[in-house]
Amino acid sequence: MLAFAAGAAQASDDCAVALKAARPLFAEADGVRVAFVPRPSPPPVGRHFDVDFVVCSRSGVRSDAVIQVDADMPAHRHGMNYRAAVSPLSPGVYRAQGLMFHMPGRWRVIFDIALDGRTLRLTRELEVQ
Amino acid sequence: MLLASAALVGLCAAGAPPATLLDFSADEMQRIVRHGPWPPPRASDAGNAQAERADAIALGERLFFDARLSIDGLLSCASCHRPELAFTDSRERSLGRMLLDRNAPSLWNAVHERWYGWDGAADSLWSQSIRPILDPREMASTAAHVRSAIATDAELACRYRRTFGHAPAGDDEAVLVDAAKAIGAFVGTLVSGRTAFDAFRDALARNDRRAAANYPLPAQRGLRLFVGRGQCHLCHVGPLFSNGEFGDTGLPFFTRPGVVDPGRHGGIATLRASDYNLLSRWSDARDDDAATTKTRLVAPQHRNFGEFKVPSLRNVALTAPYMHDGQLATLDDVVHHYSELDLERLHADGEQILKPLHLSDDERADLVAFLGTLTDPYAGSWRPQVAPARCR
Repeated sequence: MLAFAAGAAQASDDCAVALKAARPLFAEADGVRVAFVPRPSPPPVGRHFDVDFVVCSRSGVRSDAVIQVDADMPAHRHGMNYRAAVSPLSPGVYRAQGLMFHMPGRWRVIFDIALDGRTLRLTRELEVQ
Repeated sequence: MLLASAALVGLCAAGAPPATLLDFSADEMQRIVRHGPWPPPRASDAGNAQAERADAIALGERLFFDARLSIDGLLSCASCHRPELAFTDSRERSLGRMLLDRNAPSLWNAVHERWYGWDGAADSLWSQSIRPILDPREMASTAAHVRSAIATDAELACRYRRTFGHAPAGDDEAVLVDAAKAIGAFVGTLVSGRTAFDAFRDALARNDRRAAANYPLPAQRGLRLFVGRGQCHLCHVGPLFSNGEFGDTGLPFFTRPGVVDPGRHGGIATLRASDYNLLSRWSDARDDDAATTKTRLVAPQHRNFGEFKVPSLRNVALTAPYMHDGQLATLDDVVHHYSELDLERLHADGEQILKPLHLSDDERADLVAFLGTLTDPYAGSWRPQVAPARCR
């Protein structure tokens, strides 16, 4: 457990460094972590924005993950009106283009990641104004 | 942004407000300030390389008012978008060659919108301009007829040649698209001016309590409802007072007995099938242009059925009747509709964004007073800026 925690912390650092963002946000599950930053940050309401992100496992930054990025408002039970397109931006760094929070409130950013034969859902909630 | 927030907190903390300025909380004031500034940064018609060109704008203005583009010379764009009515027609549903299904929206500030038509079936002003020209229920024209109308009028032909660098000859469809882009360029210039609300909002933003206190108290109370209990600001966001998207407002959407208007659901299908969307060969936007993001990534969903566009509220007091088919005659009717909302009519299966507010008569009047302050005093009296010289 200690070894795992140490590995996860290292992965977090690797993720943040690779993203080259001043204040990255994180989502984590089952030893996989995503560091991400909306562009622009904070994300606007009612306008498209992108999300740059890095995926890390205990072995470090991963560029072999298959990722979908989505968002929803759990309290309202609705998602976005657009399906974000994910593409590599540079080695290990991805960009999800075309997200939109179409109203203010609590949104959940969702990363569905296929990696090492597993499928994981990592989420992070944001209060959007 | 931090400075603005600090100023707002300061405004709250710096002693008792004047008698004519409500004690808006810092949170309320931040919500209010987000509805500005106005005007926003300049925008232009997407996928329209002519949008900024004065020649195209001048040609588009002439075409907008020219009924000869219609097959029988009876209808122009201005038939349903009349300048003296804030570019609406004041009818519940517009009258083309027959009674149409929807209300004519105002064209003010359309250039700042994302989608066009109540169902968002068009993704640019020029694309939207083509639809009524060709629609058999409206102008019922053809590309060949439009080309001929331009080519056989010396002034229009000259202006077309000056704008596009060649005569209106050859490919009829190309001339139709050019004409639509000129119209889109003209409509893109229709950005309304500042309002009483904008003066109030800016006064709050700069911590000018004296100036803010000039804003009428009923409007202040209505605004408090708008950004507070009413939650109107959840959809009517930002300087345009619209998130540019679509919603279910709990209104009946039968166009006539047995016929349903599918709203956004049909709009997305029409958009994707359109020969004139931003991904088409006629668009001047590259496929990877940011302007095409909406068209490439829009995701149809079941809930889109019966959703209609969230309209801008700027100049809303000038654009009665209201909603996608004009079924509500006055702003008070609109406020009453939301106040006494029939939840059974809503599609949403999660938390209800819209809730019956059961507003008092005074509260309804306050909300209407606030909406009235979103009016540019000149929005109902548009005139050409200058009389254009004859084209030579």
